[in-house]
Amino acid sequence: MIRRPPTSLLMLPAAAMIFFFVVLPYINVLVMSFRAPSDTTPYGDGFTTASYVDLATDSYYYGTLFDTLWLGGVTAAACLLLGLPLAMQIHRARPAMRGLLYGLVVSPLLVGIVVRSYGWTILLGNVGVINASLKALGLIERPLPLMYNSFGIIVALTHVFLPFMVLPILSALQGIDPAVGSAARSLGARRATVFRRITLPLALPGIRSGVVLVLVLAVSAYVTPALIGGMRVQTSTLLVVDILIDQYRWPFGSALAFALSLAAGLCVLVFGRLTRTRWL
Amino acid sequence: MTRAGTILANTFLVAIYVFLLAPILVVVLASFNAGNFLTFPPQGLSLRWFLVFLDNEVFLRAIRFSAILAVTATAISLVIGTLAALYYVRHAGRDRDIVHLGMLLPLLLPEILTAIALLFFFYEIGVGTRHYLALLTGHVLMTLPFVFLNVTTSLQGLDPTTELAARSLVASRWRAFRRITLPLAKPGIISGGLFAFIISFDTFGISFMLKGTGTAPLPIQLYDYLRFNFTPEAAAVSTFSILLSLVVIVVSDRLLGLQVKRF
Repeated sequence: MIRRPPTSLLMLPAAAMIFFFVVLPYINVLVMSFRAPSDTTPYGDGFTTASYVDLATDSYYYGTLFDTLWLGGVTAAACLLLGLPLAMQIHRARPAMRGLLYGLVVSPLLVGIVVRSYGWTILLGNVGVINASLKALGLIERPLPLMYNSFGIIVALTHVFLPFMVLPILSALQGIDPAVGSAARSLGARRATVFRRITLPLALPGIRSGVVLVLVLAVSAYVTPALIGGMRVQTSTLLVVDILIDQYRWPFGSALAFALSLAAGLCVLVFGRLTRTRWL
Repeated sequence: MTRAGTILANTFLVAIYVFLLAPILVVVLASFNAGNFLTFPPQGLSLRWFLVFLDNEVFLRAIRFSAILAVTATAISLVIGTLAALYYVRHAGRDRDIVHLGMLLPLLLPEILTAIALLFFFYEIGVGTRHYLALLTGHVLMTLPFVFLNVTTSLQGLDPTTELAARSLVASRWRAFRRITLPLAKPGIISGGLFAFIISFDTFGISFMLKGTGTAPLPIQLYDYLRFNFTPEAAAVSTFSILLSLVVIVVSDRLLGLQVKRF
């Protein structure tokens, strides 16, 4: 009888792929952040914590880091504000309608992020659709500053990542037994009470993963801040790319990238702690 | 809820849908602008910018490059991802959670950081980005989670006893797999492949970091163009790429009669 090859062989190509091209490269970045800087090559010999010291003492770098986290936080909040009603409506819709609405929410995902950001520059620009319309209507004389600032970036990022908020909330809502809400209603609870005491707490896992996903994605976004901000708004991710690619300072760029990931991770942790408390 | 409240709530929801679709519609509309610049309202309608774009070798080459890259990456991803999904659903046992997390890593980690990490890595091992290899590796990584998720979903809805029944009826292991498991997993494999193709065609961070010299994928070419130019040609290119995604979805939906899997 022929010996069968072990089933774990099925996993081998994928496991090798993830190990060699994700795990090892990330470890490599971590090691790189402790290397000594050099003027002539991307990095020098020996190890040092100089990059992290620079980062913690130069207000430009940690200031940008806070700005970036703030940008991500506001984007996540805006996505929640728009995404929760959207998810609830899709959940309540009749089956035929539900497919259509679901398609509408997911369809932006099928359009590239460059194209979507470009769409926002057409809408928000100084001679863009919104400013031109308001001017034609005689409502404004000079264009409103909609682009080249944090406002424009947050609007566009909210658009880009909204599906990532709606999808997890929707899947959490679908797990709720509709009888629970009906029972509460029949016992005399008002709609608002049902929402606050039943829907919201049960949808919380979905809300939580949506917020985390959007926060992380928004903090590490590159194209949207670059195109909408027109390099007039600095974020840590733009800075990381600039330091690594244009300035060739690999150790410092790696340290900044790691600090950003760490800070975002910390926010996620704090958010997780805060939302674990009972929701009234 | 009161009548006024319902109207207010519905207006809010409609506004959100407008918000979702407006930037995409505006790109499509802008591509038919007859003027020299992106002005609003448009100075007449024409296909002028489509003709300009179809005559522009730079964009055409980028589209060809992106299409070939997406097909290659999707093919590799489909093989690796389907095998991993089979292992995950049937054999992973205690390791299920770690396999799941590992396969989703490229999706969970910030794309731009993964791209930077890969860039360093390929330099350190002496390959660099002169090769197509770094770019292709990155694209396979980005598409892998989508294949895995879709195939896993369709395999989980499949009764393992069907394959066992076939085996007990003296089908060989390979034959049972080919005749039973594979056809039943087909919807997941196809929708996974679709997602993979579209993700690869549109992904930015990986391509931005790992592109070599010479021809770059379409999103990169478009981004470079947008930083310095304001003609509606970019809108024509964008409209073309939106159309391409749409055609890929509609054609496979019609031909293969399936719904793109929700994820």
